[in-house]
Amino acid sequence: MPGELPRHVTRTREGRPATFLEAIAEALWEEMERDSRVFLMGEDIGAYGGAFKVTRGFLEHFGQSRVIDTPIAEGGFTGAAAGAAHMGLRPVVEMQFMDFISPAYDVLTNYIATSLYRGAGPLPMVVRGPVGGGNRGGPFHSQNVEMAFFHTPGLRIVYPSTAADAKGLLKSAIRDDNPVIFEEHKGLYRAPHCREMLPADDHVVPLGKARVAMEGEDLTIVTYGLMVHHALEAAAELGRDGVRVEVIDLRTLLPLDEDAIVASVQKTGKLLIVHEDTRTGGIAGEIAIRINERAFEWLDGPILRVTAIDSPVPFSGELEDYFLPSVADVVTAGRYLVDY
Amino acid sequence: MHGDASPLSREVVRDLLYQGFQARLLAGGAGMPGDTPVSVDIRTVVMARAMRHSSDGKGDLCCPGHLSPGPMLAFGATPLEFLRQLGRKGTAPAAARSGGRSWTDQRRGLIGWDGPPGTMTQVLAGAALAFAQRGQDRAALVFEEFVATETGGWHEGMNFAAAQSAPLIVVLDMTQPADRAGTGAVDAIARGYGVSAAAVAEEPYPRLFRTVASARRRAVRGRGPTLIAMLPRGEGDPWALHDAFVARALDEAGVSDVEVRAIERAASAGVDHALNRLAREPEAEPHDALVPACAHEVPQPPWTRRVPPEPGWRATGDPRELHDAR
Repeated sequence: MPGELPRHVTRTREGRPATFLEAIAEALWEEMERDSRVFLMGEDIGAYGGAFKVTRGFLEHFGQSRVIDTPIAEGGFTGAAAGAAHMGLRPVVEMQFMDFISPAYDVLTNYIATSLYRGAGPLPMVVRGPVGGGNRGGPFHSQNVEMAFFHTPGLRIVYPSTAADAKGLLKSAIRDDNPVIFEEHKGLYRAPHCREMLPADDHVVPLGKARVAMEGEDLTIVTYGLMVHHALEAAAELGRDGVRVEVIDLRTLLPLDEDAIVASVQKTGKLLIVHEDTRTGGIAGEIAIRINERAFEWLDGPILRVTAIDSPVPFSGELEDYFLPSVADVVTAGRYLVDY
Repeated sequence: MHGDASPLSREVVRDLLYQGFQARLLAGGAGMPGDTPVSVDIRTVVMARAMRHSSDGKGDLCCPGHLSPGPMLAFGATPLEFLRQLGRKGTAPAAARSGGRSWTDQRRGLIGWDGPPGTMTQVLAGAALAFAQRGQDRAALVFEEFVATETGGWHEGMNFAAAQSAPLIVVLDMTQPADRAGTGAVDAIARGYGVSAAAVAEEPYPRLFRTVASARRRAVRGRGPTLIAMLPRGEGDPWALHDAFVARALDEAGVSDVEVRAIERAASAGVDHALNRLAREPEAEPHDALVPACAHEVPQPPWTRRVPPEPGWRATGDPRELHDAR
């Protein structure tokens, strides 16, 4: 292989902590080295290294047959990725921003998600990219797309909150035989508090298993992605009042680790669901009904949710701050539930 | 036989006769199950047969497009398999979960047609890319109606295939309205993408065969996709071409009349056997068909509870018991 390795894929092997973005890059790199069937497709991911430079240096190392710059045609290249997956390859498609996945909605939901069902075999492929607000990107560079796909049987949806999980879950997603939508919150990419030492071995985190990010007995907060960090901040503040909060990081939204949520609610009796996605049709509704089905008898208060408001993502900072759920919102809702 | 034509091998001619007879029976015969219209064009048998078929997953890939038995038979499907799909039987490859066009058998190189027009050009472009990446002697063939070229998705797939020089052959079925646009439309599209173009009409089988075979050779040599416009049949008997081929087979391929009749009888017997067998096969059973294809466990009653709220709790159907148990 020619040249020096890009620095952002060697943090762990150098024994240094990695950012969330570097963890993603390490996962891609390691999987491409491990398995020649893995290849990348996306807009500007080759010569330019990607909009966020996740794949900087990949083209030089792996060559243009495995790092493919595509036209601006998300539907077309996602469909082509499906064809390659049919033939045994393992494509990883990058959406420059996940907002741009909507042109591929048709092929993802009608073709890719139904492949196994139709008898056309599994389609091992990953569609990954940056999501989320807080970057003043406005309505078309800030969305959370999970619920556009959550309703589609046959897909998996992953949304990590830490660098270690990002790496481990992405490696699992690439090895999984099902199509996986992998969301990466931009606010975590280079966040200093997300920089951490990653496991040096072949770090794989199984899909479909939630993580207890903080143990507690008074209140369960179920959340994922950037909101895990909001929830942990809120839990710390509530903790100063003696409230012991349990924070469940879902990690994988589809399949949903229902058992982990039920177990926590059975312990705390109170449930608050926090997501950055907008309110109506958000995952909080689905979690609430599942708890209603399985753990209603354990509830000692209403199930509440803290979410973005039902609006496109605003461009102005003041508007976006109002739109997004804040730590203060989580604390307020938490206090209400604890006092209920 | 045309002066520029090299005769097809006797084996190919015999295969074409067999598959042509079967396609004709399947498309036009009585007692076909289901209400899905079967479209057939004997030319598609020939074009698909011009690809390299294998049953070990290492041959070419074909997406038959319309519910046409022709390319399926050429890629190794049996009449019984085709009829199972058509009849929505539990024994069908997709266990009746999806329609007849969804039939996929990757070992034999068949991939089901799903999605709106243009989708399969995208998918086959990616499959062809996989062949090229691995340096395999394989190509992909997709049948689309010309109407697909009116979709953005088709152009995205075609553009991707052209940019990657993917070994892809796209046959555009020029239905009558499309034909009014003329083959010039296909030529213009091909020029726009810098790919080869060809047109096939009611020509003798060998020419159809050679057109696709030639496109395939170009494709696997890294010279990119080919667009083929399949012009509409004339107003006459759609099977006249088939009959003409039978005559040519008799006349030029060294197949005797006795052999042709034997092939025809064998094809007919195969279809009869398939129809008889199909009538005895079970319909799809919902649980068996759906559960293996579901990502998650199917919820069980009562309601959607899967775990009793406390050990020893038993459902009586009375929700109040839950409170009593608590």
